Amino acid sequence: MMVADSSGTSKDLATALVVASYRVAEVRNAPQTRLLAGRLEVNLEELRESALSEPAVTDVQVSLVKPGESVRLANVLDAVEPCIKAESPETTFAGVIGKLEPLGLGLTNRLADLAVVPLCDFRATHDLEREMEAPIRWHSIIDMDGPGRPHTHWGSTTNVVLQFTCNSDDPLAECDRAIRRATAGVARLLASATIDTPADDREIFRWDAVPAGLPGIAAIIQVGADEPLLDTCFYGSSMKDTVPFLIDPREVLDGALTAGAYEYSGVRNPTHFFQRNKLVLSLLKLHGTRIRFVGVIPTLAYLQSNFEKSRHAMIAARLAKSLGATGAIVASYGTGNAQTGTMLTCRACEAMGVKTTVIVSETNGGLIDHVPEADAVISVGNHEELVREWEPETTLGGHFYDVESNAPIESPGPLSLMGYFGSSSQMGDTFLRTVDV
Amino acid sequence: MNAVHFLNQFFAGCGGEEAASQRPLRLDGAVGPGRQLDIAVSATVVCGDDYFGEMESEALGQLLQWIEDEKPDVLICGPAFAAGRYGYACGTLAREAVRRGIPAVCGMHEENPGVLAADGAAYIVPTGEGVAGMRKVLPRMSDLAHAVVEGRAESAPPGTYLPRGQRANVFVEKSGADRAIEMMLAKIAGDSYETEAKPPLEKVPVPQALASVANATIALVTEAGVVPKDNPDRLEQCRAKGWHSYDISGLDSLQSGSYESVHGGFDVHVANRDPNRLVPLDAVRALQREGRIGRVDGFLYSTTGNCTATARSLKFGREIAQRLKEIGVAAALVTGT
Repeated sequence: MMVADSSGTSKDLATALVVASYRVAEVRNAPQTRLLAGRLEVNLEELRESALSEPAVTDVQVSLVKPGESVRLANVLDAVEPCIKAESPETTFAGVIGKLEPLGLGLTNRLADLAVVPLCDFRATHDLEREMEAPIRWHSIIDMDGPGRPHTHWGSTTNVVLQFTCNSDDPLAECDRAIRRATAGVARLLASATIDTPADDREIFRWDAVPAGLPGIAAIIQVGADEPLLDTCFYGSSMKDTVPFLIDPREVLDGALTAGAYEYSGVRNPTHFFQRNKLVLSLLKLHGTRIRFVGVIPTLAYLQSNFEKSRHAMIAARLAKSLGATGAIVASYGTGNAQTGTMLTCRACEAMGVKTTVIVSETNGGLIDHVPEADAVISVGNHEELVREWEPETTLGGHFYDVESNAPIESPGPLSLMGYFGSSSQMGDTFLRTVDV
Repeated sequence: MNAVHFLNQFFAGCGGEEAASQRPLRLDGAVGPGRQLDIAVSATVVCGDDYFGEMESEALGQLLQWIEDEKPDVLICGPAFAAGRYGYACGTLAREAVRRGIPAVCGMHEENPGVLAADGAAYIVPTGEGVAGMRKVLPRMSDLAHAVVEGRAESAPPGTYLPRGQRANVFVEKSGADRAIEMMLAKIAGDSYETEAKPPLEKVPVPQALASVANATIALVTEAGVVPKDNPDRLEQCRAKGWHSYDISGLDSLQSGSYESVHGGFDVHVANRDPNRLVPLDAVRALQREGRIGRVDGFLYSTTGNCTATARSLKFGREIAQRLKEIGVAAALVTGT
């Protein structure tokens, strides 16, 4: 059960995840990175040096971007909320940059309303067609103003933007790893300003045994893990070739799951959506009163055969069942191929008596795949809907490329929501839905 | 805001059934029910019910010309209530105006054939069957017209207009996660809930089996994005804009290296090692040699189904089917991914 109070006792810290939130009303460049009564002073040069410590990174431009500015961020890779394990900073983002310790317990400080946003024009330095099996090609943007701004969460956060240039001699996988490490490093560095500073509020997340009789609910979350640039990581390593397993929900909130999948910008899961995952937050809140939250089960999207999709669906369903789940919320990822896996997971759960609700984004205002068992579907928007064209004064992040020919282009033109970073979250982190009109 | 209003002969005051052959007519300003619209009406265009039904293209040509001359923000048609001929004219005219970039608002009963004629293009305020509801309908049509012009129509409360067969995005108060949890709790408790997305209603009926394929010509059709190496027609990897046909008459199978899939919805590496697993030309040729099928059509018909809109896919399907019928193909083997 989640309780917000003014302090976390030492007992809490041993048995619960205590998240201390620091509201940031203002961010400015300053000689020293520190937090003073809601004003975050940031030494941008220090952040730049931190990010440049990765050998595969040849340059980083650091900028502060605020809501309402006429700025478009292009080639957005991820968004990470600054956080730090306050009692053991060296374990922050364990496995990514941190010492390997289980996450999900103890005190974590977070800077609310702030995000670190890495951008990289990989095509400027690497031949994606040669280096990737399934080259990424979609636009991935955040607009800080204009008609697209409400469609992405980070149009409303102050963003510390890191524009990376990679060393073209280093393999793509190494460059990607370097960017993910550097981004996490900057997020930790920013949050270090909170240490020994009073928090604005604290949330205490327990996941204790609860009385029998409450309905058990599992969160089955699909993730993409295929190859570098199309990965999701658990404690720093790709989840490729994993089978569905159990994750303590608090590990999800505490940085154990991180994003490294950069295709289909609108319908993928950024790290920030794991860190403040609304499904996990709401299920933990109900845990012990209305439900028994049995945990988070990750499954893989884009498995390439019917057998592997069905096998994965079955393994996820039997795990949910064995944890005593009465119901499972099945969150999709990506588009058509992955949604077939979602529907098979729904079917496998229902066949074992585990009731499901399914969360999907619509393609062309409809479902790509459907099984009759999917009678409770949450639609988080039609990612094909176009957003009115907008010309910002400034674009950061490098070139745009034509989705078909991969040739550099001046402007992407009117973009569908697919191009707006995290616009239609299939974990349910957004407020969009599609209706009959 | 400036509107043009369309009425039939009766509501324009030309007369009843005896005036149903009334040719198109243009009147200045608002007429009849148009005077009760809360919108400035610069012109009223009129057509008799029978004239429109019998001389549709002439009627449309004249009416649309007058409408376009006014450069209106919106076209308002009716209300036609349950009147079938009038409703049909309203729906058809509204549809054509929308195709010319003029938004349109109609009023009619949900079973009026005009609803189908409007083809989802116009916004139609639902009405009762009879004219008695006029006083209540006109303000609703005015309000909706304002909302349409100001781009607010999609956020109107459900029931403001009849579903147009389209889906639109709206922002709601609760996150997808919280809606999913609420729906889950309702489902577990056995309470009622309404799913937010349903599968398409259209079902493709299973056709009658051919009595024999031993003398039939079979065609190979695919949405797997299979094309000759290097994709000479630049078939799209997703959201296909068309379909293409490729001469396979001299081939025994689709050789890896000569044919490939450009489909963007799955990892094509494995399939490209043997494109016959996407389009089974090798197996069909074997059946042909055994005499179990008559002929294999000389062309492969290929598109990409990946995220291609349903309406466009239907168009491709109809075009391909039409061509196959014309050349005497009896059956098509359609492979998907």
